[in-house]
Amino acid sequence: MLKITAYSSRISYRPGDEVDVKVSAVGMKSFSAVLKRIVQGDINPDGPGYREDAVPCDIGGPFTAREQKILTGSYGRVQTSAGFAVAGSVTVAALIWPTLPGVARQAIVSVGSESGLRLGLDEKGRATFEAVSGGRRVGHATTTAACRMKAWYAIIGTFRPETSELEIEQVPLQRFRGIEDSGCAKATISESIDVDWSEILFAAERGSDGAPASFYNGKIEAPFICSGQPGPDDVTDHLKGAKKLEAVIADWDFSHDIAHDTFADCGPHSLCGKLFNLPHRAVSGFAWDGSTYRWDERPEHYGAVHFHDDDLYDAMWENDFTFRLPEGLKSGVYAVHLTSDDEASEYYVVFGVKAAKNAKKSPVVFVMPTASYIAYANHRLGLDVSETEIGAGQLLQIDKHHSFLQENPQYGLSLYEVHSDGSGVFYSSRLRPVVDIQPKVQGFIGGLGSNIWQFNADTHILGFFEDRGLDYDVLTDEDLEADGVEALADYQVLVTGSHPEYTSTRMLDAYRDYSERGGRIMYLGGNGFYWRITYNSKLPGVIECRRSESGIRGWEPGTGNYYHQFTGELGGLWRRIGRAPQQVFGVGMTAQGFDLSSPYVKTDHAKDPRAAFIFEGVAGDVIGDFGLNGGAAAGNEIDRADFALGTPPNALIVASSRVHTDIYLMTPEDLLDPTPTWSGTQSDLIRSDMTFFETSTGGAVFSTGSIAWAASMAWNKYDNEVARITENVVRRFSNPAKF
Amino acid sequence: MSRYSLQEEDKQYIDEFMKKPIGYHSPGLQRVLNVMRGGDVNGKYVLVILEPFRRWALGRLPARRGEPISLVEGVEYTCQLQAERDVFIRRWRDLTGEDISDALNREGSANA
Repeated sequence: MLKITAYSSRISYRPGDEVDVKVSAVGMKSFSAVLKRIVQGDINPDGPGYREDAVPCDIGGPFTAREQKILTGSYGRVQTSAGFAVAGSVTVAALIWPTLPGVARQAIVSVGSESGLRLGLDEKGRATFEAVSGGRRVGHATTTAACRMKAWYAIIGTFRPETSELEIEQVPLQRFRGIEDSGCAKATISESIDVDWSEILFAAERGSDGAPASFYNGKIEAPFICSGQPGPDDVTDHLKGAKKLEAVIADWDFSHDIAHDTFADCGPHSLCGKLFNLPHRAVSGFAWDGSTYRWDERPEHYGAVHFHDDDLYDAMWENDFTFRLPEGLKSGVYAVHLTSDDEASEYYVVFGVKAAKNAKKSPVVFVMPTASYIAYANHRLGLDVSETEIGAGQLLQIDKHHSFLQENPQYGLSLYEVHSDGSGVFYSSRLRPVVDIQPKVQGFIGGLGSNIWQFNADTHILGFFEDRGLDYDVLTDEDLEADGVEALADYQVLVTGSHPEYTSTRMLDAYRDYSERGGRIMYLGGNGFYWRITYNSKLPGVIECRRSESGIRGWEPGTGNYYHQFTGELGGLWRRIGRAPQQVFGVGMTAQGFDLSSPYVKTDHAKDPRAAFIFEGVAGDVIGDFGLNGGAAAGNEIDRADFALGTPPNALIVASSRVHTDIYLMTPEDLLDPTPTWSGTQSDLIRSDMTFFETSTGGAVFSTGSIAWAASMAWNKYDNEVARITENVVRRFSNPAKF
Repeated sequence: MSRYSLQEEDKQYIDEFMKKPIGYHSPGLQRVLNVMRGGDVNGKYVLVILEPFRRWALGRLPARRGEPISLVEGVEYTCQLQAERDVFIRRWRDLTGEDISDALNREGSANA
């Protein structure tokens, strides 16, 4: 079990920058911190050997240990101005689409904390309106019929202080013969209450400790407060926008500022609010009728917010310390290594350090695929999804970080999970400890052998650079997002990670533009540039992914929810958006399997004089029949060249894998007409193509199309033909002579 | 339910698995493994790492997030392939009620 977990507010720094570190440390009095350069994170005894280098840097410490907690659950908050209050009878209402009615008590609209009014669902899923005084419930009106899951209702609560009466109405927007899901009830409160109007929460209420609690799962739309008690039909018509009521106190519009985290109040007091922990926005509301899929075209069709009790954006931990990176620090991958007296307690806060602003650039830049690390952040594929073992073709292994995640779901979900109500996770953030962005950790699906994934798998590439004495700088995906192609200026060679699957428009443009300017790209991975993601212009450290319509995916976003909240861009596969990875990188995702990998075999194109530099010193036809990931170089997730999808017509496919196990299956986007032949021993499309082409501006692209490639580079301490091929290409690509 | 369940004739694949638990399998063995390796998460066998790449305990996943992974008392492995063989036997028993542990001792079975 992990006793120390931590994070920093950034994942990309420059030398001389100040780094903040937020730590939770339990079971110890103090902890220490040392700056480390991460060289090779695989601890497999058959691997090249773990290596991290201590870096002289005065961080301070030891630091006093303390526990910091994480509270998941999204909600909205309105803080009213001082003295705001409502006199007389008041009605509180909203449209709701509950996704887990009857599982627990859930708050929809909460007025006040210690004393106030609560509109919500009780533990049986029935609409309820409660009065609270001094933190105690002093009365409630609750219907007798439960709301149905994923059905729209107007729920309307009225409080009449002059008669001490509460009333609740539960109005289904669609009625079915024989289904009793409407209701109304009245009650009298046992003592008078003085409603606290200083704060209004949506999808939560203040718990006894003052923190938000009783989180709601489902959509809320058009929450509303007015004076008096209009009839339920009139209120429902108002909520639906069919007719406007007078005496409005607050009339919230969740279709305002959809791209960010605030919402508007169209009422007379402008009680605008903010959403916390990123509930789903840009999701279909009650009015959505399929006439548009774009929320920015008809925002009134997208006036709902879908809340979850396990949403998490920002853990909001306090800083434990800050320190300044040395001015002369060489660009690379670094970590703050946190330890205590207990040797088993350690944690690495990993980040990239890019070259100093005026430093001479190295010839090679490694782009840390931090978007893909965050997509997989704290993923639970081996904990939540039974079939992961079928894809792995072997028993799943649980290391201490997996056990920690299983017991601590409050550390948040990845883009691979579903929320507790079964809806897909659209957002993943690094403003929380991400325990799988560490060296030494194992994965679930890293193949037979080292079984490492994403960040730790990429350290095989870092270790190769160090082994060969190749100078390299490091950038992160967030640098490409921020600076576009200018982040890549002056670099001769761009080297990718082993699985750079998630790509924003600006990132993909940067790769394309870099290539068009004569840059050289080495794509040393598999299933790269597959899903579009978006970053948020106001909310740092989080990515969004809408897995629309196709692709290998554990969930789909729901019809109508295909466009990203953060940018309004269509979500899904880059291939479906007209920019298949083959266009820039020559290859694109074709199949996946996680047991054994396969070697490549040279093709006739390998004899082409244009490819001679690739195979210098590599005489045999079989390449990479060894490795730390499935025992060979082509595996896990593999890519094929496809001229119809955009592989440049001058590309050479210099080697290909020939056969894979039957755990390797075709991607659904290729599987237009399913037949039982789309498996690794039967389909010619299930192969990895090692591809090379020159660009018209004197640049070039070399792609391996395999996640397992890097783990074969690391075989036999980097002394093998896979590492040799990689070195041949790096050295030729580093030569400024045009192709 | 149309999902495949283990049949008497699937016994022909036991030796194939014992000889090579991970890798290329006949279609018949693959179907057996698809049954064994899928299903409910609750109670699913996993290997809990005691010493990375050296020693594992046998664990079972819980039903819900937040609950701990339980350990099967007294079961440890020092070889990944032996763990595969042992869990195959356990699953065969769980699915059919039949004990096939003698398969472990047949020629060529424990070659890891």
